[in-house]
Amino acid sequence: MIDIAGILAENIAYIVMVTLGGMLISWSVHFVPVGGAPAAMAQATGIGTGTVQLAAGAGLTGLVTAGAVMNVSDSVALVVASGAVGAMIMIAVTMIVGTWVYVYGVGVPPASAKVDYDPITKDRQDLYVSQGTEGHGLPTVSYVSGVIGGALGGIGGAMIYYALMSTSTTLSQSDLVALASIFAVGIFFVNAVIPSYNIGGTIEGFHDPKFKKWPKAVVASFVATLMCAFVGVMAIGGL
Amino acid sequence: MSAGGAGGEATGGIPQNTLIAVGALGGLIAAYAGHFLVQAAGPAFAFIGALGAICAIVWGGAAVRRVASYGLGTGVPSIGMMALGMGVVASMFGLAVGGIAGPIVAFITASIIGLVIGALANRVLGMGIPIMEQSMTEIAGAGALTIIGLSVAMTGTFMFDAVLETVVATGYIAVIFIAGGMAILHPFNANLGPDEQQDRTLTTGVEKGAIAMIVAGIVATVSTDASAIPTIVIGIALWYVAFRKYVELVNRDAYKVLGTGLLPSEEELE
Repeated sequence: MIDIAGILAENIAYIVMVTLGGMLISWSVHFVPVGGAPAAMAQATGIGTGTVQLAAGAGLTGLVTAGAVMNVSDSVALVVASGAVGAMIMIAVTMIVGTWVYVYGVGVPPASAKVDYDPITKDRQDLYVSQGTEGHGLPTVSYVSGVIGGALGGIGGAMIYYALMSTSTTLSQSDLVALASIFAVGIFFVNAVIPSYNIGGTIEGFHDPKFKKWPKAVVASFVATLMCAFVGVMAIGGL
Repeated sequence: MSAGGAGGEATGGIPQNTLIAVGALGGLIAAYAGHFLVQAAGPAFAFIGALGAICAIVWGGAAVRRVASYGLGTGVPSIGMMALGMGVVASMFGLAVGGIAGPIVAFITASIIGLVIGALANRVLGMGIPIMEQSMTEIAGAGALTIIGLSVAMTGTFMFDAVLETVVATGYIAVIFIAGGMAILHPFNANLGPDEQQDRTLTTGVEKGAIAMIVAGIVATVSTDASAIPTIVIGIALWYVAFRKYVELVNRDAYKVLGTGLLPSEEELE
């Protein structure tokens, strides 16, 4: 039987770190402009797919970059920063290609229907919103918001991975990498879905009224991730 | 966004309690039967694990169908990804600490995580779906049993050392994750709509489960404790039967089935 109290005492900092990472992922999803199927038809602002897919894409890219840096450095700051940069690049590239498709392929100007003036560029938005749509494309504010979301998600994912990799264990390095990765992916998916139920469909970014609902999702993620963190650290620490 | 069907609980067909029994008991019994038969009679019996995974997949697909009919406000796929997210965390924990009780520990852990997340979804996020708690518990349990069942088919055992070596460290766990997740989320996602019928949705689940079984069989070729051939052959046979049945049910439910012929050639279009 494994020594639950001993493992807990030894790795309490990592449980806290995983939980914090999960909460960051949950918060980050609210920043990413998600438009779903309506956006794919240029009838809503954002990227034309669901929150989970986007969060998974950004998070897994962050996980890969964080893992690559962990091969050469033990510094938590470097690992977290590389995770953030990886996820930011992924989400930024997705959004810029999406913008090209909207502007040159579909032929619509990026415009937000949630605000009259773009909070960042102060450009008028309402004149450019096509009738019968909820906006289209990726206006500047959504783009900036998405990059912030990518950074937070990448930090969260990298923190989870770093914490699980640092848990004291007798596993060999390659087994530990595999186990920590799959736990990180599992926790990432749970924390990507919880906020998507909070948002319920589409969100433009931090200027969207739905953004204000984020504390609910973060509280829910706190509880859910704490359980997953406990289970993950127990499993890795017990081996 | 695919927001689900009619906005109420999906009804009809086999009662959910029967499906819970088939999925939970079938999944657990098959995981143990696969493990012990491989030890007693040889690696050819590893395929039984995948049959258990199919039971769990059908159960998970039925639970997704029930809960997603309320309209989640987001895509149906999210709930399948959540199932495997919870399932992979719980199953790795269960197998790592449980030893011979591994599948049961994993199943119980998954159910607890699912119950808490279901309660959070209703109480904190305010989704207001009356069967959310029960369904998330079922979906998480089904996800965990799917992973364990397919692991048994790949390695011939659920003992953690073998699973870690053959399934996790090699990265095949990612295949299980996506194949199992697709098998749970896809049946309802593909069939939803006003004419959705339980038997058609669940037949899709069997068909997708059979594909996951074939994939598990292919992975088993690198394992010495699990035979690949029986898993692949039985998987292909199951897939063929389920796909034939699915086509039959689509023809039954369709208003009309017409042959449109081939695409017109360039000359014909002029």
